Amino acid sequence: MPEVKSIFREVLPKQGQLCVEDLPTMVLCKPKLLPLKSVSLAKLEKMQRDAQNTIRQQELSQSEQPSTQA
Amino acid sequence: MGTGLEMEPLLQAWSYFRRRKFEHCSQACSRILEKEPCDQEPGSEHLTQAAWSLKTRALTEMVYVDEIEVDQEGIAEMLLDENSIAQVARPGTSLKLTTAKKFDGPSPAVRPVTQSGRPITGFVRPSTQSGRPGTMEQAIKTPRTANTARPITSASGRSVRLGTASMLTHPGGAFINLSRLNLAKYAVRPQLAKTLFEYIFHHENDVKNALDLAALATEHAQFKDWWWKVQLGKCYYRLGLYREAEKQFKSALTHQDMVDIFLYMGKVYIRMDQPLTALGLFKQGLDRFPKEVSVLCAVARIHEEMNDMKSASEYYKEVLKQDSSNVEAIACIGSNHFYTDQPEIALRFYRRLLQMGVYNCQLFNNLGLCCFYAQQYDMILTSFERALSLAENEYEAAEVWYNLGHVAVGIGDLTLAYQCFKLTLANNNDHAEAYNNLAVLEMRKNHVEQARALLQTAAALAPHMYEPHFNFASLSDKIGDLQSSYIAAQKSETAFPDHVESQRLIQELRQHFATI
Repeated sequence: MPEVKSIFREVLPKQGQLCVEDLPTMVLCKPKLLPLKSVSLAKLEKMQRDAQNTIRQQELSQSEQPSTQA
Repeated sequence: MGTGLEMEPLLQAWSYFRRRKFEHCSQACSRILEKEPCDQEPGSEHLTQAAWSLKTRALTEMVYVDEIEVDQEGIAEMLLDENSIAQVARPGTSLKLTTAKKFDGPSPAVRPVTQSGRPITGFVRPSTQSGRPGTMEQAIKTPRTANTARPITSASGRSVRLGTASMLTHPGGAFINLSRLNLAKYAVRPQLAKTLFEYIFHHENDVKNALDLAALATEHAQFKDWWWKVQLGKCYYRLGLYREAEKQFKSALTHQDMVDIFLYMGKVYIRMDQPLTALGLFKQGLDRFPKEVSVLCAVARIHEEMNDMKSASEYYKEVLKQDSSNVEAIACIGSNHFYTDQPEIALRFYRRLLQMGVYNCQLFNNLGLCCFYAQQYDMILTSFERALSLAENEYEAAEVWYNLGHVAVGIGDLTLAYQCFKLTLANNNDHAEAYNNLAVLEMRKNHVEQARALLQTAAALAPHMYEPHFNFASLSDKIGDLQSSYIAAQKSETAFPDHVESQRLIQELRQHFATI
């Protein structure tokens, strides 16, 4: 289709330089893949959480008791 | 039930134990012990002994953690390290000397590093969790945020806190009163001594008493029982007497070749910062037990710690040939592929983990990231949503929001990115990377002062990262504060020696100063 070709012609700049300047830009920190936890680490953390919870509950019940007595 | 069809109490306790219902088992044993206190009639002696032993085992199992995995080096151990021969180790022989080395594999421009300058790994164990600052100076300089805080000594670390917690939760006090125990009496009865030792070591965390018991027992066994020697070695290791521990393990190896002993001994060498000796030892172990997965894993870990990613992934691949569902190997190879520009392959590894039934926040976060970089856009947001709903604490949620921020930056939705990084900080106020990225976004809006403040915060929180230093340098350079720019650029260069843009900036500044 010669007509169409005549309508759209490719553009090639004949003058001037075509260049891309590498400007230093600010860098983002990279995305982080999260490391998976080993079974023992998961167990340790679970034990620690449970222990903290039980202690917190004990403290709560202790702090509630005097207030109910008073 | 009241039908008269009740099980024999000890058998029932044993059945509970085998079904890992340790709480029930311990209660059942307590009932037996209450009913028939010790030393009443000669016939019931065996029953009470059995119940007592079973209860100790149940209590131990409740808090049992594989000793090979447990390791936490405290500040005191690093400061008072008497085992190092030279102040500065020769290159390639130490786990600590990681600065000024060449990166084998992805540089920090691609793969984030931990505070000791190692690339982040794909898998954490209790020993590698805290990121282990290489030197005392680093350990002190590292800001003590909630995540990086180290115990003063390993003896005051997690194990002791757990021990005290377990004491508090038993209303009637501890099951066995160690100070009133006649250890010599138990040491001559091997069947009771072994369970008692494990109880003292794992449940009570009283290493000194455990060591006394083990010493008496090994004497009673005429120094011929490898088991007691290994236990002695474990005690010495906990007490920080590494040479003694090594001696015990070596002696145990002469009696019996065991994979465990090789692993324990490797742990001792790693603590003494002799990775090459450990590698040699594991080679012996592999000769004795060819293709043993746990030894192969240990070798791969050492290579990874020494920044030799290529050999590490070779060993991990070897592991996968033997055991195709080894989580550690899959995770490490996956993360390696991700950071070497092959997110599609990483995605396959992480998908394999999902098929195997791993179901947690970290995995879905990694899946989401891999999907994004492998251009599988349909799965990204659902994965991150799942990760957020599975996050166990705010630190995990912070990491997920941080990665989601990257996705937002990638699709050009800077408002969403801004919100994501803000949410990261709302969840974890010490997230240095998020501060840095927020600063970059602020700079796009030309908010120079905010960006400056954010970068300074990031640099203070994470001096090991080069990004905040470099950004601060280029920002200061732009606004004409050349002196600060030079200082920051130098810091950036020490954090990442091969960074071309930092080098170029320093050069420009030097020329500028010379002309003045």
